[in-house]
Amino acid sequence: MYLDLDEGERAVSEGVAAFLAGEFPLQRLLHSSDSEALEAFAAQGWLGLAVPEELGGAGLSCVEEALFFMAHGREAGPFDLFPQMLALEVARHSPTLVAELLSAVHRVALWVATEGETARLVASAPPTVALRIEVQRVALWELKGKELSERTCLDRSVSFYLVPRAELRLLAEERCDLYLRAELALASMEVGIAQRALEMIVAYARQRHTFGRPIGAYQAVRHPCADMAVRVEAARCQLYYAACALREGHRDAATQVSAARVLARRAARDNTDLNIQLHGGLGVTEEYPAHLLLKRANLLARLPGGRSWEREALLQESA
Amino acid sequence: MDLKLSDEDLEFRARARAWLTRHVPKEPRPPYGEAAARFDREWQRKLYEHGFAGINWPREYGGLGLSAIQQVIWYEECARAGAPHYINTTYVGLMHAGPTLMACGTEAQKRYYLPRILSGEHLWCQGFSEPDAGSDLAALKTAGRIEGDELVVNGCKTWTTDARFADYQELLVRTTPGSQRHHGLTWVICDMKSPGISIHPIRTMLGDEHVNTVFYDEVRIPLANVVGEVGQGWKTALSTLAFERGTGFIGDQLALAERVRQAISLARRVRLESGELAIENADIAGRLALIKADTLAIRAMTLHQISEVASSGAPGPKGSIMKLMVTSTAKTLSHLVAELLGWEFLEYDYEGGRENQPWTYDYLWSWVYTIAGGTSEIQREIIADRLLELPRAR
Repeated sequence: MYLDLDEGERAVSEGVAAFLAGEFPLQRLLHSSDSEALEAFAAQGWLGLAVPEELGGAGLSCVEEALFFMAHGREAGPFDLFPQMLALEVARHSPTLVAELLSAVHRVALWVATEGETARLVASAPPTVALRIEVQRVALWELKGKELSERTCLDRSVSFYLVPRAELRLLAEERCDLYLRAELALASMEVGIAQRALEMIVAYARQRHTFGRPIGAYQAVRHPCADMAVRVEAARCQLYYAACALREGHRDAATQVSAARVLARRAARDNTDLNIQLHGGLGVTEEYPAHLLLKRANLLARLPGGRSWEREALLQESA
Repeated sequence: MDLKLSDEDLEFRARARAWLTRHVPKEPRPPYGEAAARFDREWQRKLYEHGFAGINWPREYGGLGLSAIQQVIWYEECARAGAPHYINTTYVGLMHAGPTLMACGTEAQKRYYLPRILSGEHLWCQGFSEPDAGSDLAALKTAGRIEGDELVVNGCKTWTTDARFADYQELLVRTTPGSQRHHGLTWVICDMKSPGISIHPIRTMLGDEHVNTVFYDEVRIPLANVVGEVGQGWKTALSTLAFERGTGFIGDQLALAERVRQAISLARRVRLESGELAIENADIAGRLALIKADTLAIRAMTLHQISEVASSGAPGPKGSIMKLMVTSTAKTLSHLVAELLGWEFLEYDYEGGRENQPWTYDYLWSWVYTIAGGTSEIQREIIADRLLELPRAR
């Protein structure tokens, strides 16, 4: 039993953090789009992190994937990586499809809702494939037509693409525990966001002065910061536990993943809120990156879309 | 990272489980008073005689010298078997005074006191807080005057749990007149039967008298009872930190997990005033789910901390995070159950205490929990100082 990063895990975590900080730092979202990010990650081999080696991936597990998405969350990384990497799991039985996804020939959007005859997709650029995540199955759908209607999103790094439901054709599906993989990845991103919000306000509280003192010396600032740290620590430890329980096939994996998700969602929501509030006026300006974390957290909180299942997993008799 | 237990861990679990199944007392622990203290001594004696006493104590002092993960396993098996909770009248001796003596005591002190703590013969209490020195402990004023080979103590300590049943007290006094803050303090073993000691119970809002104020009037303590050096009491008081391996809240976590389980099953039975089953109400189900998740996280945090301490060797300020989590989750749960139980919750019999109405009792207790052992506000200060390294105003 060892619930902390070992050497290999630390290398993955630091590797992706360095790549993101260099190529896709949070501040990028103030002036550029993520529409070509997928290719950059494909070129570095990151997309195949959890793909078996015989299919051209790195053959790592959902634990490393969680660390990857935590680092991703810290920079509000390119959104498309989430559906793209999960799609690779669905595509396992088709080496051709895996290759097309690994090289970003296929671009995957997340299918988040169905409104009447219209499917609502989220991506940073027009997709060729849509990933639908449901409790019973996770499926890939090919976009047949070219009829895409684009809408802007609160998180400006992505757009909504509205597609007639009839123009989606089933490509591949998977019925095992992939839903838990999706929840784990979302929880990871949320923990990363919550952690970044904490780091941002702590750095500011050390240098910003009011009434002749750094604001970090006032209990009105210190105590909410301490609560932010508690939320991050709880969500992060639970995330580690859930990732291990899922990899090791524990009977309570669904309960553990659910716990990780609800705690990560709460941490991301509350920490991105307090980060802006404790910054004062600077926090609401467009040029300061605090709002980017809030907007990304708001998008992620609604995902994967559809009926929420965490509550039931946590309250069931055997949990 | 992984959750796999080693063969030794699994073997220990089986051994602990087999022993506990045969030896856990059939009768429940009396809720308070002399009878409770007697019960605790007897259980501790039984653990001692069968080689299960001092799970966090090194072997050289008669303990089990268990790894941190085996300590967690031990507590889990105790909870599973319904064994007496380890937070009882033996707690200060086993978890605090004993480890302090191991770190700073003389050979003679260790030889005399440690086996008697381990066997349940001696119960200990704490004498740190004072009426004007609680959160700000270094403001303490109780004075120790050196006369020949004795320390003569005058003053007053408070919030002393179970003072009436304790044989000895870990007493922190100011021995350098006019010294400031954490300088000039001395940590000394005080015999609770010494002349000049008077104990006054404090009746709490729960209706019971588990804490006391202790007055010292010319109490004479041999200088041989000083642990560590005269004037270095603060250092002695901090030495127990070296024994902290991150398992300090596992018992609380297990007790909380059981209460959460009961609350969920309660929510499946009771109906709200609207007639709807509580569990089917989205607001209540959402709040319960979050409490359940927090409870699971406390266990994960314990395992994470054990792993961190194992690789770094230092406990760090994570204990404050744990205390905030444990006590605030317990309070949130109490508030929720107060809503679920309706009028039954308010029909409280002060004489019956926890045995009769555990939910109401634990609801009131939840404020003791967020205040005792360092208030939530002090825990946030520690996190801000030591973990976040924010600038200080103090």
